Amino acid sequence: MYFFLQTTFVLKRRWPPPLHKKGGKTTKLRGRHFVYDLVEDKNVVRQPDMKVILNQYVEGVGNAGDVLTMRPNQVYRDYLMPGLAVYATPENMEKYQVEENKPKSEDTFSSPYVQRTMNCLSRLVLQITMSKKEPWTLEPWHVKTSFRKAGFVVPEHAIKMPPGKVSGPDLSLQDKEFFVTVTINKTETVNVRCRIHHWATGLERLPWVEHHWKKVTEPLFPEQAEVLQNLPLPE
Amino acid sequence: MASSRLQSTARQLSKTFKKKGRFEIGIANELPPAYKKFWREWKVLKPAAVHFVPQEGKWRRDELTGETLPIQNVHIPLKHPAEINDGIWGGEAVVKGFQKRDPYKRRVPHFWVPVLKRTVVKSEVLNTHLSVTVTDRTIRLINDHYGFDHYLLKTPACDLVSMLALKLKKHILTELVNGCPRYAHDPKKQAEIYEEYKTYLSSYTPEEIEWYGLTWYEALCKVAKQKEAANRPMPLKSVYRKNLVEKLKAAGIDGSPASAEDISNTTSWLSKMNLFGKKDEQA
Repeated sequence: MYFFLQTTFVLKRRWPPPLHKKGGKTTKLRGRHFVYDLVEDKNVVRQPDMKVILNQYVEGVGNAGDVLTMRPNQVYRDYLMPGLAVYATPENMEKYQVEENKPKSEDTFSSPYVQRTMNCLSRLVLQITMSKKEPWTLEPWHVKTSFRKAGFVVPEHAIKMPPGKVSGPDLSLQDKEFFVTVTINKTETVNVRCRIHHWATGLERLPWVEHHWKKVTEPLFPEQAEVLQNLPLPE
Repeated sequence: MASSRLQSTARQLSKTFKKKGRFEIGIANELPPAYKKFWREWKVLKPAAVHFVPQEGKWRRDELTGETLPIQNVHIPLKHPAEINDGIWGGEAVVKGFQKRDPYKRRVPHFWVPVLKRTVVKSEVLNTHLSVTVTDRTIRLINDHYGFDHYLLKTPACDLVSMLALKLKKHILTELVNGCPRYAHDPKKQAEIYEEYKTYLSSYTPEEIEWYGLTWYEALCKVAKQKEAANRPMPLKSVYRKNLVEKLKAAGIDGSPASAEDISNTTSWLSKMNLFGKKDEQA
């Protein structure tokens, strides 16, 4: 009975055929016996949520052995097919030592979206546009403005500047890089790769370099070299 | 008098006459019971009701008159288009019929066709992902059976319907019989998979698996091929040569190396001929 109900369309005869002899042939069906009414279309009915067990750590979702309860399509597409999760059979429950009533481990993050923000920021190559003519010294508000231009709202107190003083205009800075440390929600910290670009109009303008964000450049401060090497560069 | 006797014998004969079945004509006579078993599972067994809700029980009472009436579930006839064999529709098929949209209008022909989509299924035994055309019901059935392999192995052939599913099932069964050679690089995983699926092997013998998932034509071809291989005609020249050698041995004549050389010389008489020489040079 359970399986009968799981179908796309369930039909019913409007005029059922007459009864036939016990164990005999069914009566010949007439045209009217093929007139059907739709009883139910199961494709448009919301399916109940499905349970699966993660078999490895998935970023932003959970650890191995955690039970996920989600829409069946989403579970099938995003977790079962890539092999990140297994069906919640009794054998798998035992294998992954799932405790149904286990309290959810407290998130060490200050918000569920922090991981995503951190990933976005660590992928970023922040171009800090400075004047090519006027003298300047790099200050937090410069970095804040550059962040805003890149689509991130970062308050000044969240920005930790690099150790040394950066001042210009100095065209040797053009192919150097450093990182600033951004603190999210006053808890998580993430390093953001920064590069200085000297800006001017007219004939003074520096020529456009194609895919300049993909290029590997030298670190400005030798003590930052190791961290910069570990930061991912966009491809 | 005589005519009535003739009539009675004719009646008797007609009673005893039985129409020959599919398995009693021609080469089909030689199909093994293993294939008959599969055929039964595929074509004789009634598939589960998918597009209608069958009434439960044996009897019902008419609400108006209180009459007791038997319950007879007459299945809704399904159409199986050729495309059904290229996907796995989970028992769904096309229904051809009419809709009565208005009591004062003539009925309108209508086809109820399942919604198809292409998605990925994962076979653990075959250690691969497959891109197949399925319906939502198939995915639901796979999820209910806790996996694609479990779904195929647990479901009888009449409910799988499509040739693709049957061939995959046969493939999976053969793989299991051979002990999952696709996991040879990882013996631990291999043992795990085999342990999980070995229960399904108990309902098939190796011969049954060999004959599983074959169409009627394929099965007949297989029988014909087996028959041909079994009684392959032996060329008479080899029979005569054998006889001659035996006779020579019996007479005490043995082939010496010198004679063997002679034979090789005599057999290559054709090479002595010079077809491209002048007329008088030709032998």
